[in-house]
Amino acid sequence: MKTKVRQLLEDGRVDAFLAYKTIHGVPYPALFTRENVDELEPWAPFKARYPVTKILLAQARQNPEKTYGVLVRGCEERSLNELFKWNQLARDKVVVLGHACTEDLALYCECPKPYPDQLDYGEAPAPVSKSRRLEELEAMPENDRLQWWLSHFNRCIRCHGCRDVCPVCFCTECSLEHKELIPAQKLPPDTSFHLVRAVHMAGRCIDCGLCEEICPAGIPLRALYKRVNHLVENIFQYKTGVADGKSPFTMLGDESFLPAGPR
Amino acid sequence: MQSPFEPKILAFLCNWCSYAGADLAGVSRLQYPPNIRVMRVMCSGTVSPHHVIHAFQRGADGVLVAGCHIGDCHYIKGNYMTLKRMTFVQELIRFAGYNPERFRLEWISSAEGVKFAEVARDFTEKVRSLGPAPPFEASPRLAMGI
Repeated sequence: MKTKVRQLLEDGRVDAFLAYKTIHGVPYPALFTRENVDELEPWAPFKARYPVTKILLAQARQNPEKTYGVLVRGCEERSLNELFKWNQLARDKVVVLGHACTEDLALYCECPKPYPDQLDYGEAPAPVSKSRRLEELEAMPENDRLQWWLSHFNRCIRCHGCRDVCPVCFCTECSLEHKELIPAQKLPPDTSFHLVRAVHMAGRCIDCGLCEEICPAGIPLRALYKRVNHLVENIFQYKTGVADGKSPFTMLGDESFLPAGPR
Repeated sequence: MQSPFEPKILAFLCNWCSYAGADLAGVSRLQYPPNIRVMRVMCSGTVSPHHVIHAFQRGADGVLVAGCHIGDCHYIKGNYMTLKRMTFVQELIRFAGYNPERFRLEWISSAEGVKFAEVARDFTEKVRSLGPAPPFEASPRLAMGI
């Protein structure tokens, strides 16, 4: 890993590389430049996950002329693809090195693609196509499911953590902060807080699950967004996170697949 | 004595087609139930999921969104967005455990007063048969209970 990154930095292909540095035994995202490339550690599999593409986006917004390299997992590569497609990052300003997730992490995430297309380190574990948590939820009777969701939404403390950690939440103005759409100074916030965020995630969510991990109230958001992804796939035949194509919600007209409905 | 259940239905009608259609229904003296509360919007494409979910939260038993037919939108392509967005919202509330039949999307042109009256009758009866909507609002009391 050191040789590859050093090569990229010395060739001037990238100005900085976003990888990990072990602090107190935990890998932590860090930016490496020509000055500190020697501190780069050899690659080893680890389970900690961070919104690296969000950190990258913040960096790229501050220094639009710079080129960055980044070490990504499968989900992080998908989020990069989305950020390219939504014109938040320039494809030619990002160089990608990929690493695979461990098998138990893939099982824990129920990840359909626990490795990036560009795989440089590690071995690709088997993808998990079925989601048990989603199947259990869908088997629930309608009213039980409503109570189940409401009982979870009730614990929301409105910290906006799910939004702040989300690698594809790139808007500079957020409707979740609109005082009239979602009445301010109310706890728990309206149900629309979560459901509207879910609508906004349609065609964007790449199923990294950081929202659920960061949630201090332990709201099972991942099941909600997994369902959102399935819906986008079933209704619009669009798979979020792939390298080509565009979200159906970015197209104003009939260029995208139109769902069945009243005509 | 308890009065029989009368559904509350919120209708978002677009300014150019569906509102004019409702107007025509009125001018033509067509009978339809008074359960529909109309909100005029400039285009059905401006109806945000915020509005739909908010309506359910504040006690609407049904929500109707009506706009111009595909291809007839005053803003050329506004209703394509309505169709995509509202189809998604309907599926999402189904997943949240809310009956998706409480939500309806219809295309009603300004000449279709008869269709408006029909949709109003049909949807009101549908919602009436479903009964009062369950609460869709998060409340701290619920959190303690479960």
